[in-house]
Amino acid sequence: AGGHTTEILRLLSCLSESYSPRHYIFADSDKMSEAKIRSFEQKRAETFSNSQFTLDRIPRSREVRQSWTSSVVTSLYSILYSLPLTYRLKPDLILCNGPGTCVPVCICALLLGLLGIKRAIIVYVESICRVETLSLSGKILYYFSDYFIVQWPDLKEKYPKSVYLGRIV
Amino acid sequence: FRFKDSLAEDLRRADLVISHAGAGSCLETLEKGKPLAVVINEKLMNNHQLELAKRLHRGGHVLCCNCSTLVETLQSMDLSTLKPFPPGQPEKFALFLDKVVGFQ
Repeated sequence: AGGHTTEILRLLSCLSESYSPRHYIFADSDKMSEAKIRSFEQKRAETFSNSQFTLDRIPRSREVRQSWTSSVVTSLYSILYSLPLTYRLKPDLILCNGPGTCVPVCICALLLGLLGIKRAIIVYVESICRVETLSLSGKILYYFSDYFIVQWPDLKEKYPKSVYLGRIV
Repeated sequence: FRFKDSLAEDLRRADLVISHAGAGSCLETLEKGKPLAVVINEKLMNNHQLELAKRLHRGGHVLCCNCSTLVETLQSMDLSTLKPFPPGQPEKFALFLDKVVGFQ
């Protein structure tokens, strides 16, 4: 969604074509991300001939400031919804950067890993907006991701298992 | 105007940008090397928007004020004291990820 999409496209900007095909997953309520993604991929196709990507929408797990109890329900729904999608895609690598949308997908991927179906590497990059505190997605995925990247040194100090590469967007 | 697809053209022509503390607005402006005055409305903002604005201000990259101090800030500002905020480096991320995944 919004700023997250812009950030994640910047993260992708220097990746080699080995990272293919790319499967974008975003919230059904998100109106602008599709256009940004298509524009990014179109530009990419000018350099790399075999660019492949797909787009999928899932229900948003939680609106900003949604109550705790209703969030649990909507999140569970998002997880169930994401399971067939994640199973079909069987990703090798999941890259996410913080919108609530990413948590259900990661949970499904963890589940597929536990069941021995497919083990994905989960790389989480916390948004550059997060200088001193983690987002809710970040707080959850700090424990469940394989690599947790932060963009400010304050966060690296608070979360020692994180990776600090400087500012990357 | 209310919404534009891109402010890139307006940014290019601006000498000073006055903005709310939204991360996108701030970072886009700073990348283009334009002086930026961030107006903070603590009542309206999410706490985490404030984090970035505070950090940018502490680093001397932006002017900071609230709605009531805006005029006085603009009158007394010295833009030459602002430090540049270089853009991030996604190449570092690509290098890191290549190692993680095993493409080397």
